[in-house]
Amino acid sequence: MSRLIGAVAKRNIVMLLLTAAAAAGAYADDASFTSHAGVGSMTGAEIYDHICLGCHMPGGQGAVGAGSYPKLAANKKLVSWEYVALTVLNGRNGMPPFGLPADQVMETRAAHLSDAQIADVVNYVRSHFDNKYKADVTAKQVAALPHPPTAFIGPQ
Amino acid sequence: MENADGSYSLSRRQLLQMIGTTAGAGAMYQAMSSLGLAAESPYQGPIDLQGAPKGATVLILGAGLAGMTAAYELRNAGYSVQVLEYNGRAGGRNWTIRGGDRYTELGGFAQQCEFDKDLYINPGPWRIPYHHLGMLHYAKVLGVPLEPFLQVNYNAYLHSTQAFGGKPQRYREVKADYQGHVAELLAKATRQNSLDGSVSKEDQEKLLESLREWGALDKNYAYLSSEAASDRRGYEKNPGGGLSARPIPSKPVALGDILKSGLWQGIPTGDTFDMQTALFQPVGGMGRIGEAFGRELGALIRYNSKVIDIHQDERGVTVNFVDSRSLGSAQSVRADWCLCTLPLPVLAQIPMNVDQPLASAIAAVPYAAAIKAGLQFKRRFWEEDERIYGGITYTDLPITNIAYPNTGFHSGGKGVLLGAYIWGLNAMEFTAMTPQQRVQKVVEYGSQIHPQYRKEFDNGVAVAWHRVPFTMGCFGMWSSDSRVKHYDDLCRIDGRIALAGEHASYLGGWQEGAVTSALDAIARLHQRAVSQGEKA
Repeated sequence: MSRLIGAVAKRNIVMLLLTAAAAAGAYADDASFTSHAGVGSMTGAEIYDHICLGCHMPGGQGAVGAGSYPKLAANKKLVSWEYVALTVLNGRNGMPPFGLPADQVMETRAAHLSDAQIADVVNYVRSHFDNKYKADVTAKQVAALPHPPTAFIGPQ
Repeated sequence: MENADGSYSLSRRQLLQMIGTTAGAGAMYQAMSSLGLAAESPYQGPIDLQGAPKGATVLILGAGLAGMTAAYELRNAGYSVQVLEYNGRAGGRNWTIRGGDRYTELGGFAQQCEFDKDLYINPGPWRIPYHHLGMLHYAKVLGVPLEPFLQVNYNAYLHSTQAFGGKPQRYREVKADYQGHVAELLAKATRQNSLDGSVSKEDQEKLLESLREWGALDKNYAYLSSEAASDRRGYEKNPGGGLSARPIPSKPVALGDILKSGLWQGIPTGDTFDMQTALFQPVGGMGRIGEAFGRELGALIRYNSKVIDIHQDERGVTVNFVDSRSLGSAQSVRADWCLCTLPLPVLAQIPMNVDQPLASAIAAVPYAAAIKAGLQFKRRFWEEDERIYGGITYTDLPITNIAYPNTGFHSGGKGVLLGAYIWGLNAMEFTAMTPQQRVQKVVEYGSQIHPQYRKEFDNGVAVAWHRVPFTMGCFGMWSSDSRVKHYDDLCRIDGRIALAGEHASYLGGWQEGAVTSALDAIARLHQRAVSQGEKA
């Protein structure tokens, strides 16, 4: 595992780009954080706990401030798996798109999840938090949905 | 003018000269700016809004820097102005957390800041480049004193867990060695005539001379342990006075080790236009600017007001809001015009009758995940033990940065540093933790760079921007694709409503984007108001 340090002058912000070569998973000494190459091996439950939970909260309870994060617990809208999968793929109202191609996530500083992982996290949410839907969405079904644009045009 | 390929075109210089002679220096400067030649902030100096229609009213949503810049200028121009603000304070993301402050994030997780008096952390913006002229103007007008912000500190560290046994390296050593070795290689290629004639014989001499200077090479164009190299990377033993004065040069690290380490990626952090010296910070915290704006605007700002509905008709705009603490019954306020500076994740959820292109633009911009943690230590060990005064250490650990305070040098007592400033995936993962877990992790990781953390840590706060109740994200992340599709629609006035904020700028995440977008929007609103006459 070789993780590099980098200073990337991305327009306005100097940030450190954490890159990972080879098959790096979680940080060797700490399961709390995932390296970029390690994202691909996260399960639906791990994706929820590491990423979704930040906004949708423990137990899928959601939150209310000046705006709100939808409560996922016992949420009737989850009857449509397409609705959930499209939201994860394309983002919505400030939520980052997780279906961007892996080589384009840096532009929006999001993370890339595969169709299989999106199916997995959709299944997880729809079968937890008092949601009792069948966890039977497949990668193939997710692949058939519209994904975010893959061709960025022109300079930023 | 005929070019070599037979086409006709004016050179940029000729074009600019023509503009200068026919339309004056102002227009020439404007053209230079749009061509990216002047390349400063689009700030054009104090705005001039003459002839405001008598009795015209403007309602501004959000008392962040965009909203308050607009309120300040429109009030001065004679408009009747009111501002609605969700928080109980002015500033928005222009925000400083000080000892005694209490902050509750979404999900109800509360933090009590236990820093000593006068110590603080800026959870949001923390630096002002010298060319952010709008920010500098308002800091001056509002009487907010500035002090230097140190972006580059040659004695701070570049750190990789995968290189040099995890031992942090001084920036000056990495920079000097990288530069020295590259200069040596290029000198070698030049002397072997390997540059394929791309440099003339005469220029080769100059190039060699410059490489020796740039890379601290010796007379044979070699980068070796020497006084010259140590003058860049530091000495084994520094020169002094008296009998023990003789310096001992240090030994450069081999090129292969520098390349393998990846630390070279941290060298240009201060070279980008936004990060070049000089940068500034307000004395006492970035929040001083928002606070000063708030004092200046006084009763024009109505605090604790959560907007729930925005409706325009042919003659004006009506906004419904509730008290953000009690969420009681809705109240209504009406004005001729509305400048809306609410962050897009919030605005996207508020019913508002605007055209579809604007509505689509509002929903199209994801907000960046970001984390900052402020840590108080019992003593300023980074100064006392390591001689790091301000500036930033970069690491491949999830904390990404450690930034040392740029003020209060050599003061006894406790000190607060920025223990983490994180973007992307790891920021999302930090967001998913409780504030206390975040601080604990930041301390754990930071102690790999500064072992003193373990003994000296006192207390800390951590802000995760997706859990900030008033923004729900750090700032708008435009992709080049969404920029092309939606940006102009976002900035265009829709009937009686205009948007402003860093999200409506090409300076994403910068306060200057908020300020200049507000000035741009109110100039256009003003034009529209004037053209509609007395009672709009």
